Amino acid sequence: MEYFTTELLTLLFAALRSATPVLAVVLGEAMTQRSGVINLGVEGQMLLGAMTGFAVASVTGDPWLGVIAACCAGIALSMVHAILVLGCGANQIASGVAVLILGGGLSAYYGTPFVGDKIDALGNLNHTFVSDIPLLGEFLGPITPTVLITLLAIPAISIFLFRTRTGLRWRSTGESQDITRNLGHNPTYYQLAAIAFGGLMSGFAGAALAVDYTANWVEGMTAGRGLVAVGLVIVARWNPWYALPAALLFGASEALNLKLQSWGVDISPYLLATLPYMIPLSVLMLSYRGLRASGGGMPAGLRVVFQSAR
Amino acid sequence: MTSATQPVVKLGLQLLRGPAGAVLVMTAIFVVATLAFFAINGREAVSLFQEMVMGAFGDSYSFSETLVKTAPILLTALAVALPARLGLISVGGEGQLYLGALFGTGAVLAAVDQPGWILMPLMLAGSMAGGALWGVIPGLLKTRLGVNETISTLLLNYVGILLVSFVVHGPWKNPNSLGWPATIEFPAGAILPQFFDTRVHMGLVFGIVAAIVLHILVTRSRWGLGLQVSRSNPRVGATAGISYERNVLIVMAVGGLLAGLAGIAEASVIQNRLQDGLASGYGMTGFLVAWLAGQHFLRIIPLSVLMGGLLASADSLQLYAQLPKASADILQALLFIIVLAVASLWARRSNI
Repeated sequence: MEYFTTELLTLLFAALRSATPVLAVVLGEAMTQRSGVINLGVEGQMLLGAMTGFAVASVTGDPWLGVIAACCAGIALSMVHAILVLGCGANQIASGVAVLILGGGLSAYYGTPFVGDKIDALGNLNHTFVSDIPLLGEFLGPITPTVLITLLAIPAISIFLFRTRTGLRWRSTGESQDITRNLGHNPTYYQLAAIAFGGLMSGFAGAALAVDYTANWVEGMTAGRGLVAVGLVIVARWNPWYALPAALLFGASEALNLKLQSWGVDISPYLLATLPYMIPLSVLMLSYRGLRASGGGMPAGLRVVFQSAR
Repeated sequence: MTSATQPVVKLGLQLLRGPAGAVLVMTAIFVVATLAFFAINGREAVSLFQEMVMGAFGDSYSFSETLVKTAPILLTALAVALPARLGLISVGGEGQLYLGALFGTGAVLAAVDQPGWILMPLMLAGSMAGGALWGVIPGLLKTRLGVNETISTLLLNYVGILLVSFVVHGPWKNPNSLGWPATIEFPAGAILPQFFDTRVHMGLVFGIVAAIVLHILVTRSRWGLGLQVSRSNPRVGATAGISYERNVLIVMAVGGLLAGLAGIAEASVIQNRLQDGLASGYGMTGFLVAWLAGQHFLRIIPLSVLMGGLLASADSLQLYAQLPKASADILQALLFIIVLAVASLWARRSNI
């Protein structure tokens, strides 16, 4: 029994760690979509963030500088989406795919010299006061700063979105740009901020992956995490609180995949590796059923985006 | 200026304000952006650009390699453009291509001792079935549950690639390949016909024929008209007996089938076997080409050749000029961004 509890807790915390990059993207993308803009480019922004963060950490020797650089890279790339969508009025899905390809290409091109470098990790909570907490200390120890920052972002975003005047305007922009305009505010500013925030969070997510979680840079290392996150935003109903369980879904599938392999389960690792895509997709199917019935909190401005091909 | 030339000049200016002007502006910006990209990275920009053009269209060998790359781009672009007729945004060409290769290879392995006239049709049928399956699944998710097709196709891409890895590392691995994860070599009867002693293969013909047939079907047939009605208003379509749901499944299946053909052509002609990294990126390039062509089937053909040239020359420049492979991705993305920006601004201007 105790063995079982330990294993379960280990799995849960492993899930939390591998869910963190996805959680950061879900939070950022949920905020972007709340303003009525969808950005599939988060995958590319995440890759560029991961590469930039790793490169800066490797060159300067300071992983925190890497995290900051990653955030900047994410914001910078997201501005391509902003210019295309807000400035030129281009289709949001197509523009997102363009950003996705650009981020993948740039990170592969400029990341090559850094492949195989060693960097200092961000460290974790081991040997801090946390280790002295009875029972849980053992599991809390491996928690790293990016996990904590991402978790703290949940209440912060929630308060901003639901308790502040700016948050209200942010949400109203996503429901109807006319309302925001009639109230005397420019909806484009809110959407610009929303895209930039999505860029910040996806860049940070890249750093969480490359500088913290794996301490490694490999071409294309995000492997669709950003795209899974865009799907999970729908599962989370555009709500920062639901983002955590939604992202844990991905984390748990990945942790389960690794766990099953370490137990020597006789299933091909390639089949197990489909779990982090299949499980979110299955839950997405379930949550779409609910969405169809009630609308499920989809910002009205997004419906238009989802229903136009050009 | 004489009065006789004035109408000509006027016509020219009118054309420049229309699509021709947009294309000129796009091309100019793209050339400048490419030169800038080379220069920023410390290259002899102009000479590298010349080499790039030569590497794509310079001699008959280069051009044949361009056409080799054209085939999968053309087929996966059609797999995007057909669903777009119904307003669907499918990004699933990559996964459909892999599934086509997977099912086609399955047919080859199952009938490996049969003569070519049995093996070849089986292989092609298998690949079409596999690609169509990977198109129908997101189609069903869309019609039954309302799951957004963009997200489901993107996620299924990763699953498709992993399924191919699974079979080539596991059940279908050639025991004599010394640990290299790949199937056995395809027998001669399972190699698609090629032309003029080059690697240019039947896949290109399939793509061109499919583009022309689809163009005629969509613009001239009842079914094509039905797609238009369904797209603009599914309810009106339903009263006329046109089922939006059935059309979604048809366009996704046919699109997937075409991308599946691209997959088996790569495995059969280019690799002679099924292995990892079958065709990384063709699906995304196809998506891009479909958008550049404005989802117009016939325009997709020349644009696929151009994009095939970009990829082929990137391959040769990687060899001769140590230009990293990723530069092809960057240039594609730049082209896509420029076209999206200019086309959107042009459309906005003419609306005013």
